Amino acid sequence: MKRIFTKLSVLTFLCFFFINAASAQDITIHGVVSDGADKTTLPGVSVLVKGTKIGTLTDASGKYAVSAPANATLVFSYIGYDPIEVQVNNRTTINIELASNSQELEQVVVVGYGTQKKKDLTGSVAQVKGEDIARQPVLSATQAIQGKVAGVQIVSSGAPNSLPTVRVRGTGTMLAGANPLYVVDGVINEDIRNINSNDILTMDILKDASATAIYGMRAANGVILITTKKGKAGDMQIEYNATAGFKEAAKLVNMAGANQYAGYLNEANLYYGTGDVLITPTMLQNGANTDWYDAILKRGFQQNHNLSISGGSDKGTYLFSAGYLSDAGIIKTNDFNRLTLRSNNEYNITNWLKFTSMTSFSRSDVRNVNLDAFNIAYRAAPYVASKVDGKYGNTSLSNNISNPLLNLEKENNRELGNRIQSNFALDLKPISWLSFRSSFGIDGDFGKVTTYNYRYLNTGPNNVFLTEGGNQVRPNSALALEDKTTTRWVWDNTVTANKTFGEHSFNLLVGTTAEGFKFRSFKGSRTDVPESPDQWYLGAGSPTNQTNDNTGDKATRNSYISRFNYSYANRYLLTATFRADGTSRFPSQNRWGYFPSVGLGWNVVNESFMANQRIFSALKLRASYGKVGNDLIPTSTYLPLATINKPYFFDGKEYLGISFDNLPDKNIKWETTTEYDLGLDFGFLENKLTGEFNYYNKKTENALVAIRIPAILGDTDSQYTTNAASFSNKGVELALNWASSVGKDWSYSINGNVSYNQNKITGLNGGQALFDANVGGTFVTKSDNNQPIGSFFLLQADGVFQNAAEIAASAQKDAKPGDLRYRDISGDGVINDEDRAFSGSYQPKLTFGLNGNVTYKAFDLNIGTYGTSGGKVYNGKKAERENSKDNLETNVAKNRWTPNNPSNKIPRANLDKLPASTYFLEKGDFFRINNLTLGYSLPKEMMSKYKIQKLRVFVTAQNLATITGYSGFTPEIISDKTLNAGVESKIYPTTRTFAFGVNVGF
Amino acid sequence: MFNIKQVFIIFIALVVISGCKKSFLDVEPQGNLTEEQALKDPDAAEKMVGGVYNTLYMGGFDPTTFGFLFVLATDVASDDGDKGSTPSDFGSAGEIDNFTFTPSNFIFDNIWRGHYTGIARANRAIDILSKSTFDETVKNRLIGESRFIRALYYFNLVRLFGGVPKLIRVPEPSEGNNEEFQTRATKEAIYQIITEDLQFGVDNLPEKSGSGVGKATKGAAQAYLAKVYLYLKNYQKAYELSKAVMTSNKYSLVRDYNLIFRQNAVGGDGGNNNSESIFEIQTGLNVAKDAVSPLFSNGQGARSKGGWNDVGLGFNTPTSDLVSAYEPNDVRKNATVIFITPTLPANSPGTVLWDGFRIPSQDSVENSRYSYKAYHSILKESVPLDGDKDKRPKNIRTMRYAEVLLINAEAAANAGGDAQTPLNEVRERAGLTPVPATIANIWKERRVELAMEQDRFFDLVRQGRAGTVLRAHGKNFVDGKNELFPIPQNQRDLSGGRLAQNPGYGN
Repeated sequence: MKRIFTKLSVLTFLCFFFINAASAQDITIHGVVSDGADKTTLPGVSVLVKGTKIGTLTDASGKYAVSAPANATLVFSYIGYDPIEVQVNNRTTINIELASNSQELEQVVVVGYGTQKKKDLTGSVAQVKGEDIARQPVLSATQAIQGKVAGVQIVSSGAPNSLPTVRVRGTGTMLAGANPLYVVDGVINEDIRNINSNDILTMDILKDASATAIYGMRAANGVILITTKKGKAGDMQIEYNATAGFKEAAKLVNMAGANQYAGYLNEANLYYGTGDVLITPTMLQNGANTDWYDAILKRGFQQNHNLSISGGSDKGTYLFSAGYLSDAGIIKTNDFNRLTLRSNNEYNITNWLKFTSMTSFSRSDVRNVNLDAFNIAYRAAPYVASKVDGKYGNTSLSNNISNPLLNLEKENNRELGNRIQSNFALDLKPISWLSFRSSFGIDGDFGKVTTYNYRYLNTGPNNVFLTEGGNQVRPNSALALEDKTTTRWVWDNTVTANKTFGEHSFNLLVGTTAEGFKFRSFKGSRTDVPESPDQWYLGAGSPTNQTNDNTGDKATRNSYISRFNYSYANRYLLTATFRADGTSRFPSQNRWGYFPSVGLGWNVVNESFMANQRIFSALKLRASYGKVGNDLIPTSTYLPLATINKPYFFDGKEYLGISFDNLPDKNIKWETTTEYDLGLDFGFLENKLTGEFNYYNKKTENALVAIRIPAILGDTDSQYTTNAASFSNKGVELALNWASSVGKDWSYSINGNVSYNQNKITGLNGGQALFDANVGGTFVTKSDNNQPIGSFFLLQADGVFQNAAEIAASAQKDAKPGDLRYRDISGDGVINDEDRAFSGSYQPKLTFGLNGNVTYKAFDLNIGTYGTSGGKVYNGKKAERENSKDNLETNVAKNRWTPNNPSNKIPRANLDKLPASTYFLEKGDFFRINNLTLGYSLPKEMMSKYKIQKLRVFVTAQNLATITGYSGFTPEIISDKTLNAGVESKIYPTTRTFAFGVNVGF
Repeated sequence: MFNIKQVFIIFIALVVISGCKKSFLDVEPQGNLTEEQALKDPDAAEKMVGGVYNTLYMGGFDPTTFGFLFVLATDVASDDGDKGSTPSDFGSAGEIDNFTFTPSNFIFDNIWRGHYTGIARANRAIDILSKSTFDETVKNRLIGESRFIRALYYFNLVRLFGGVPKLIRVPEPSEGNNEEFQTRATKEAIYQIITEDLQFGVDNLPEKSGSGVGKATKGAAQAYLAKVYLYLKNYQKAYELSKAVMTSNKYSLVRDYNLIFRQNAVGGDGGNNNSESIFEIQTGLNVAKDAVSPLFSNGQGARSKGGWNDVGLGFNTPTSDLVSAYEPNDVRKNATVIFITPTLPANSPGTVLWDGFRIPSQDSVENSRYSYKAYHSILKESVPLDGDKDKRPKNIRTMRYAEVLLINAEAAANAGGDAQTPLNEVRERAGLTPVPATIANIWKERRVELAMEQDRFFDLVRQGRAGTVLRAHGKNFVDGKNELFPIPQNQRDLSGGRLAQNPGYGN
C-alpha cells in the first residue's frame, strides 16, 4: 500500500511543476452560460482552462469571468449537461448554451466511493430519481422503487413504519440476513426508514458483482445507495410539498355472517361431531352479527409536509429541509408520525479544498398493533358482539379466543425513535487528476419501547365484558420498557486518480475504511402500574415479579478498497475492483475476506464500422465476474458462550451455575457468492428507445445450514450451524425506456422492466433440509436439495370425495363423501407424511413493472405498476383453524360440498383443522397499479406576480387497483426469514391511499 | 495554507492510521461469558460445576437423566411398575411395559441425549478446572464432584445400553464424526471410567459434614462405588466400601420409613436430606421454576377420571405383584403404595393421604395404585407460586443408607462376612423380624426396600434372573436381548450406522 502512495506523490509533484510553468500572457474572458433548451441561465457551471487547474464557477445569474491565455481552450461542464470545449481565439466574451444530457446512457450513477457515467459502466447499476420516489405517498423510499428496477423484488406492507423485504436477484441465503445493504451518503446501514423521500436525489441499486464487490463482505444481497439532495449555487430556492389523504384496506375477505356460520357448524357437528346443535337459534337471536374486520379496521388519515430552503454560491451551497409525516394506519389504535430535519452543506474552502456536511435527524413515534388481532378477527364467532356501550363481546366463551378489539384497545405498544445520521467529508483536489477524500459518518439510533397492558376483569363489578366468565382476563396491568441505543461510525479515506493519455483513460481509486458498531439495550418490567401514561414508569409499579435485562453487542470492521477503471477510445472498458474486509464478527483465522471483481465493456456503437449506421444510438456489451460475501450472521456465533443462571440447590439455597451447551462452529465465516453477469445496453432512434438486457448467474457457497450432530457431543439441540450449503440464482432482466414528444404540447415516456429468476438449493452438503413456517403445528416449508429456498412441502389435495365408491378406491378408507382427497404419492395405501411433495415457493419467477409519464401543456399524468408471477402463497389463516367453532369465509360456507352441491374444490362442513395440503396453497400472482398521479402546474406568468416560481397541484392514488387470483388479503407478505416466506397469517393488509397534494417553489 | 506535500502526508497518515490498528478487530462478546474468561475466574469454574449438578434436573418428556422418562424405562420395565394412566395413553411407555419397543422409541433417545448432555457438561467443567490454576484442594474437590456425577450418568448408560461411546474430554464439533466417538466402547471400558471417577471422588471429596448439603461427598462416592462393584461382582471391594460408609458414622436409618420421602422432618426424623440420605437430587422453588425435575412427581401422581382436581398423570403404578411381595406387617407397603379404595360402598371417604389430601374412590380415579414415594403434597409441602403441577419440587433420593446396608449384606454373603447384622437393621426398621441372610433373602429385601426407586430392573438383570422373573410377570422378555435396551435409532443414524446395535434389535 505504502509503495503505491510514494509513487503517486512523485507523480503529483512532477505535474504540479508543469502546471505552474504554463501561465503567461493572460486575457480575461466573460460570458453567460445558459440552458440550451429553456434558455435559463445556469449558476455553478464549472469553467476550466483546459490542461490547467485554473477555473471558476458561474455566479447566480450564470455569469463568469476567467483569465486565460488568448489561445487557450475553455471547458464548460455541469452535472446533467454535456460538457463543451471552446477555443478562446482572443475573444473576451463567450456565451455558452449547454445541452442537457437527459438521455438514459449519459446518466451519472453512484457506484460506491464515487460516481460514474452509465455509459462507462461495466456492471449492472440501476438508478431511480428522487422525484419518482417522492411522488408516491408511501412511507419508505424502498417501497417507492417497487416496479421501477428490473431484478429487484420489493415486498411491502401497509403497516406504518414497517421495513419492506427486498430481494435483489433472488434469495441467496437460508439462515443469514437476506436484505440488501443500504449506504446513505456514505453511511452504511440496514434500515432507511429515517430517510424522508423528499430529501432523496437518487437511489442507485448495485446488482452485479462488478458493481457490488467494492462493498465486499456485505454485498451479496445487493447494495442500495442513497444520495440526498444538496443546494445549487444561485438564488435561494424555497420549496413546499405536501400531500394529505386517507388510506384503507385495499382488499378484504368476506367472512360468514352469523346465520351462515351457524348453518355450517351445525351441519359439521351432525356429520363429524356429537350431532348437537352447536349454535342454537337462541344464541343467534340474542347475539349480534359482527363483521370483525369492520370492528377492528378504520380509514386512516395520512399527511406529509415538506419544506426545503436551498441555495449557494461559488463559496458553497446549503440545503435545509424539514418534513412532517403522519399516518394513522388502517387498524384501530395504530398511529405513526415522523419528523425529519436535514441540513446538507458544502463549503468551498479554496478551489481545491471542499468540506461537506450532511446531517439528518429523524424522530418517529409509532403505536404498533399486535397483528394477532388481525388473525383473531378471522376466527372470532360472528354472533358475538364486538363492543356495545363500552363492554366487549366475550369471544372466549364462544370459541376460546380473545376479543380482537379488546386486544387492540387494552394494549399500548409505542416505539419512539430518535436517529441522527451525519457524514462529514473533506475533498481535496490538489491537481486536476488527483483527489483525496476523507469522510466520517455517524449513525445513532436512540429508541424507546413502551408496552403497557391494561388491566381488565371478566367477572365482578369491573367486568369489561357483556357476559361474565371465559378465559380472557388480565388481573394485573403490566408495563415493560426498553431503551435501545445503536451507534455506528464509519471512516472512509480514498484517493482517486483520473488521467487521460490520448485515447487511454485511467481512473484509480484506493482507500481504506474503518467502522465500529455498538448496540445496547436496557429492559425492565413491572406489574400494577397505574393506567395514566404519566404514571408509566417502572417505579410506579409493584416490585413483585419485576424483571430487568441488559444486553449489548459490538463489532468492528477494517477494509481496504480499490477500483481501477480503464477505457480505450470510449470503446473498450475495464473495471477491476478489490476489497479486503477484516471483521470482528468472525474468528481470527477467518477474519479477512478478499473480494475481487472484474468487468469488461465494449461500446460497439463507437466503433468506426458503426459510424454510418443510423439504427443504434447506443450499443454496449458488458461482462463481469466477481465475488461478494454475506456476513449478516450474529456476532460471536463462533464462540462457545456460557448459558448463565442454571440453578441448583445447595444447603436449601439456590446456587446459579453456568454451562456451555451449544457447540458452535469455531470456523464460521461469511457466505460467498460468485456472480457472472452478461449485459447489453442499447439505444435506438437517437435514444428515444433505450434499454438494457442482463443475464446473471449467481452461485452462493459456504452458506449457513444446520448440521445434525450426535447427542454424545452434548449439544442441547443436537445440531450446529456451519458454512456448507450452496444455492444458485440464475436469471434474465430486460428494461426498456421510450421517451418522445409529439408536437409542442405533448411529451411522454414509458418504461417497462421484467425479470426472471430461478432459485435452487444446489447442495446442502451434509446439512439437513430445513423445515420452517409453522402453521397450526405443521411445518409447511422444507428447504431441500434441488428445490427453491422455502419450498412448500404439502399433501397434494386432489378434489373432493363424491361417493363411497371413490373412497373405496382411495388410500383414505375412513373418509366420508365431502372430504378432501389426497394423492397417495408413496403408494402405500395410507395418507401420511410420506405423501407430502414439493409444491413451489413464495419466490416469484417473474417480476415486472410498467411505468409511464405523459405531459400535455400544464398537465402531467404518471402511472406506476408492478406485478409478480410464479410465486405461491400459503393461506395460513385459513389452514390454522385452532378451534372447531372458528369462523370461516363466506365462500367456504356458501360453496362447500353438500350432497346437493357436489363441489370438487371445497370440502364438506367440518370441525377439525385440515391437514397441511395444497388445498391451502394458492397462486401469488398479482398485477397492481402502484401509483397514479395527475398534476396541473399553474402558468408561470400568473405565478411570478406573487414571486412564486412553480405551483403544481395534484391528486394521487397509491395501490389503486390490484388484479390477483389470491383469495386472501394480500399476496404481498413480509417475512423475517427466507425459509418461511409466503405464509399469510397475522399480516398487515396492503393499503390503498388517496391523497391530494401541492408543490410550491419560491 | 498548507502546501500540497503537507496535505498529502496528512492524508497518507489518515489512511494508515485507519487501516492499521492491530487489536481493532478483536472484539469480545458483550455480556456473555466465554470459555477463556471461565478459565481465569475460579467463581466461573465453580459455577460450571453448578451447571453439572443442574443436569440432574433434566426430565419431563424432554432429554432426561434421573427424570420422568428414566423412571418409565426402569420401573415400568420391571415387575414393580405398570405403565399406568389410561390404556391408550403414551404408547412409547406402553411398549416398554410390554417389551415391544423398537430402537425408534423416543424415550431411549431422550435418555441417551440427556445423559450425554450431562456428561458433556461434566467433561467441559473438568477440562476447564484441570487447566485452571487455583487452589489444588478446591480444584480437586470440584473435579471430584463433576466426575462423581459423570460416573452416575455412565453407570445409568452402561446398565441401560451396555457399552456406549466413551467421552471423557471435550471434542470439537468437527471431531464428533471421528471413529473414536462414533463407535461404542466396551462395557468394561465404561465401567473403568465409572470406577476411576468414583475412586477419584472417594479420594478427593470431603465427608458429608464438610460440604454443603446436596453436594457429592466421599460417602456418596463410596456408596456408589460399592454398588458398582456389586455389579462387577467384586464383592470384596463392595464389602470394604460399604463398610467404610457404615463405619464413618455419618449416616443412619430414618426411624419411620414413611418419613424418608417427605419434604419436612417430623420430630427430627426423615424429610429432605435426612440422616439416611447419601445422595439426593436437590430441588427448590425459584421464579423460573427450573430447579426441579419436571413431571417426576406429577407424572407418577394419581390420575382423575373426572370430578376432582387430580394430582398427576398416573404413570408408573405399583403392580399387584409388588404389593404381594411385602410380608404382613411390613410398614413399607403402605409407605410405598397409595391404594385407591373401591367404588362401593357409596360415600366412602376415598383415600386420605398423610397430609389430609383426599383421593376419591375408584370410579373417579384412573388406576388403583400409585407410588407414594413420588408423592409431593400441595397442602403441606412447597409448591410453585402459580401452582404449576409439573414443577413440584420433589427431591429424588438416588442413594440411601438402607441400600448401603443391603450392599454390605450381599457383599458379605458372597465374600464371607457378617451379612446378618446389616440385613437385620433394614428389616427391623420395617417392623419385621430377622430372616437368614441368604442371597435370596437379601435380593427379596432389596426389592421391597427399594421398590419404585428405579433400581429393580437393573437388579434383576444383575442377578441374572430378569427373564425368568419378568416372563413370569407376563412380559415378552427375551433372554440375551432384553437385558439391554436398544441403541436409539436416531443416534445410530447420526453416526452413519457406526454405532452397533445391541443383539436382537436388528442391525
